[in-house]
Amino acid sequence: MTVQKPGRRLMHFVPLAFVHKKVTGGGHRALSAGLSLTSMIDFLVVTVVFLLMSFSASGELQVAKGVTLPKAQNTLDMIDAPIVAISGRQILVNGQPAGNTQAIEDSKRMQRVDELFNSLKQQREHWKQVYPNKDFPGVVVLQIDQDVQAVVVKSVFQTAAFAGYPNVSFMVNQMPKASSGGE
Amino acid sequence: MIPMIDLLMVTISFLLITAVWSHMSRINADAQVPGPPRPDTEQTPQEPEKTLHIEMRTPDKFTLIWKQGGTVVSTVDVPRRDNVVENNHVKEVHYPDLGAKIESEWKTTGQHRDATDKKFDQAVLHTDNETPYVNLIGVIDAIYTPKRDYGAGGKTEKMPALNVTFAVN
Repeated sequence: MTVQKPGRRLMHFVPLAFVHKKVTGGGHRALSAGLSLTSMIDFLVVTVVFLLMSFSASGELQVAKGVTLPKAQNTLDMIDAPIVAISGRQILVNGQPAGNTQAIEDSKRMQRVDELFNSLKQQREHWKQVYPNKDFPGVVVLQIDQDVQAVVVKSVFQTAAFAGYPNVSFMVNQMPKASSGGE
Repeated sequence: MIPMIDLLMVTISFLLITAVWSHMSRINADAQVPGPPRPDTEQTPQEPEKTLHIEMRTPDKFTLIWKQGGTVVSTVDVPRRDNVVENNHVKEVHYPDLGAKIESEWKTTGQHRDATDKKFDQAVLHTDNETPYVNLIGVIDAIYTPKRDYGAGGKTEKMPALNVTFAVN
């Protein structure tokens, strides 16, 4: 086979005039379009920069089913801590059931949730076994639906405090921060 | 050229797969619980600091009370206007008037305002049992409105001026 000059080959050897006219782009747009590498690389670079700017190393936290979190503006970054979720009437600690809020809602009175207390206490003891030389941070994150009543929030809050978690954080959806405007 | 395009494509794929579109964050609140007894250290009685108590018990007003120990230093009422925004069943409740009043109160009565001061003024939130959680978050968000400089590790950054304690009584 002889070496041939590079160039367009598709349908060039069809001995028909109208085909030859089409493939050479005679009067119409050519069938094979060129791709501008500069524009494509610009687009790819811009996409990479955008995605890198919105990248979060901490990953996405799972919100329990049925929980709609409220939004807040003056927030802090999430931390690694046990998550207590109130989904409907069920209480979950890191996704595992740990009691329910039925009794609190029926009585409308604040009370300790024993299953939650035991679960959190177990978590605390496990942490102390893993890190025997460190001070226990005592932080727990509450993932609570926006319509839950304060009496349930107070009960869970107090139970967490009694179980050795006095530093409680409420998980919220972050709102874009407004400009301060200067003082 | 081809390896560079390959690298960009792989990077885009990785970033798209690991992208986080909903940004979760947290609002901090402490519980005031007594610590363990420490008989080995001698406790010296200290003058109690002024604490801002925010009462959220009536639907028409907030009451801001500065207390020093058991003594009431000052009291001021702020009209309660629930600025509720609902979007796709997600509610936002804002109390801009409360935030502004707390900021002015802190500027006049707050004790820890210097950037070198490691302590923060304390705010205690009291609420009734029926208040929805979204309103609680709105009030705590308003309490965190005033900011102060805080020097740590040789650099100064803006921090919330008040530390919130959620009263469960």
